Amino acid sequence: MRIKLMIPCLVEDCLPEIGLAVVSVLERLGVGVDHPQGQTCCGQMAFKTGDAAGARAQALRSLDLFAGTDPVVCPSGSCTKMLRTYPELFPPGTPDHARALNLAGRVFEFCAFVLALPGAPDFGAQLNARAALHRSCQLDGSEAPQKLLSAVRGLTLLEPERPERCCGFGGLFSLQFPAVSESLLEDKAHELLALDPDILVSAEPSCLMNIGGYLARLGRAGRPVRALHAAQLLDLALKGALTGGASWS
Amino acid sequence: MVLSSSFTPRNFREQSEKASHDARLRAVLDHATRYFMAKRGAALDAFADCEVHFARARSARLTALSRLPELLEQLEQSATRAGTQVHWATDAAQAREIITGIAQGCGAQVVVKGKSMITEEIALNPALQANGTEVWETDLGEFIVQLAGEPPSHIIAPAIHKSRADVAALFREKLGLADLDDGASIPELTLLARQALREKFLAADLGVTGVNIAVAETGSVILVENEGNIRMSTTCPPVHVAVMSLEKVAASLEDAADILRVLPRSATGQKMSSYVSVLTGPRRVGEADGARESHLVILDNGRSAVLADPLLREALLCFRCGACLNSCPVYQTIGGHAYGSVYSGPIGALLSSLLLPPEDTRDLPFGCTLCGACKRTCPLGIDHPKLLLRLRERGLESGRADSPGFASAAHTFLSLHPLAYRLAVGAARAVDPNLDLLPRLPGLPSGLANFADTRQLPELKRPFSAQLRDNRKKQGRKKQGGA
Repeated sequence: MRIKLMIPCLVEDCLPEIGLAVVSVLERLGVGVDHPQGQTCCGQMAFKTGDAAGARAQALRSLDLFAGTDPVVCPSGSCTKMLRTYPELFPPGTPDHARALNLAGRVFEFCAFVLALPGAPDFGAQLNARAALHRSCQLDGSEAPQKLLSAVRGLTLLEPERPERCCGFGGLFSLQFPAVSESLLEDKAHELLALDPDILVSAEPSCLMNIGGYLARLGRAGRPVRALHAAQLLDLALKGALTGGASWS
Repeated sequence: MVLSSSFTPRNFREQSEKASHDARLRAVLDHATRYFMAKRGAALDAFADCEVHFARARSARLTALSRLPELLEQLEQSATRAGTQVHWATDAAQAREIITGIAQGCGAQVVVKGKSMITEEIALNPALQANGTEVWETDLGEFIVQLAGEPPSHIIAPAIHKSRADVAALFREKLGLADLDDGASIPELTLLARQALREKFLAADLGVTGVNIAVAETGSVILVENEGNIRMSTTCPPVHVAVMSLEKVAASLEDAADILRVLPRSATGQKMSSYVSVLTGPRRVGEADGARESHLVILDNGRSAVLADPLLREALLCFRCGACLNSCPVYQTIGGHAYGSVYSGPIGALLSSLLLPPEDTRDLPFGCTLCGACKRTCPLGIDHPKLLLRLRERGLESGRADSPGFASAAHTFLSLHPLAYRLAVGAARAVDPNLDLLPRLPGLPSGLANFADTRQLPELKRPFSAQLRDNRKKQGRKKQGGA
């Protein structure tokens, strides 16, 4: 099977290690990965600031980049959701609307896609660590990350008191309402640190950047919490399986 | 509808930022919203076929909106037949005029009120008081905020922002109870309010309430409550005025029952509120109690314009259970006053944006992280985030909202031109790989500096696509070498 990889702009330039882990995991599990060139932004930023025209122009680029019938896999809940929103940007009955519907029907968030592969969820991955999961409201209640990571041997997957609560990022929100955003982040960090994790794991890069950046600033005496995307954790754990289980120290 | 206090929706951003720094407020809100959510969760867990009942309630509300003009005419006829005098008000000023007219007509010296958001919306109390009428809020929470000279901060829990000790201090001062201790229990405080209010009920010439549901078929007004003060306000005084916004109609008693099965469970986690009053016209000959004269004021105040918008009309489905407020992380952090208008939280941001002058509300649709907690909580299936996005778009179209700014516009432009995008990011990486300068660039929102203070900004790294290309070249060479 071949898929087309959709890489969020945040991952392309700031968190490329997430993209590399996605490719590594998918290829290890027998999936061929095409990465269409010329990807920039899915249009989410424009869409969420109310710039429908800008979002539509960006959507048209995505429709060209990801044309065809291959599944499109994206390591971000919010970008996946944006691609699924494309049909709303075009009048029903137009060719672009039809193309948008076609794309929306074959775009998968990374964890959900891996969970649908043969052999899922137990791929023999192993990682001895305590991981605190941030579900991310951007995944719209999907339980794919929990299901996928629960199957990693040796991993203690922990969830905070209010697992679905927003981390306060909200894109533009964090810039327009910085103090409110920070208050929410403070609550989230507090609930996550109470779990005493080695790793913070999430399937949403923007939340990961937000919470991970705060935890890094906050510091924790002696033992920093490493922020990992679910794909990075899975990649480590799949490699770990070869050596009898990677250990966290 | 804008609050008479110093809070205004124009200053929503500043007010929210300030509120989020108020540790005491945050603690009180955290406690109260968790309490409501836990009670609601337990009630819904015990509610068999919950989703079916939600769908029936939504269906009743959709019926009301889709047949609104016809149902309102039917309501007028049925209510009139039952002996209720029906009045139509286009806006708040007209509604105030009608009600102050009724008060003057019956020579009202004392007015008692049941808790209602609609009379807050039309700012009724100051209008009645301006004519020398004494006005008393009789819901415990409303009574508390009235004594404090504050507006309510939650749809169903007006004094949610006050702790028990705050209330004790307030009663000590305002009710002249010098001995009242800060540690007074809630039953003690309730009893004191009850004693103060009992005299008012007996002295009242006029009772004013809102409406939860008005039944077109029968002309009945349905009111739900837990304290009995609405029952008292509608039966003790000789005259009762019920005020409704026009979307609160239900086609039939059956539809009303579908709504009543969901409303209390979603609002307070109760199967049914302690009191449900169904009032059909004034007291009839031979009946022992009830108002001798009953009025129904049907208020538009901008709603028919909302109804005409095919997407935004969904906001009018709301029956004010308040669950979206309790579930909203932003509301949990800033409370109701920061919104600066009568309705707060997710539904408040929507209603205020739709009903108030656009220039006053441009920030409201942006005070949301789009996390969707409200949508998941709403029993009527209102998609608040989607509607807020639509309002952001509308604000931008009319040039009202802050333009997305240099940053967002530049990002959109560059993302449409991949080569320019790569060049721009490449240049930025060469000059400022750790993004130290970014927060200080002109044209970027000032919040970025704050963002960078509290979080480590990501650094610009060698792009994923370049790294993937390198890896694949290496793999290719390995394969060739091995072959």
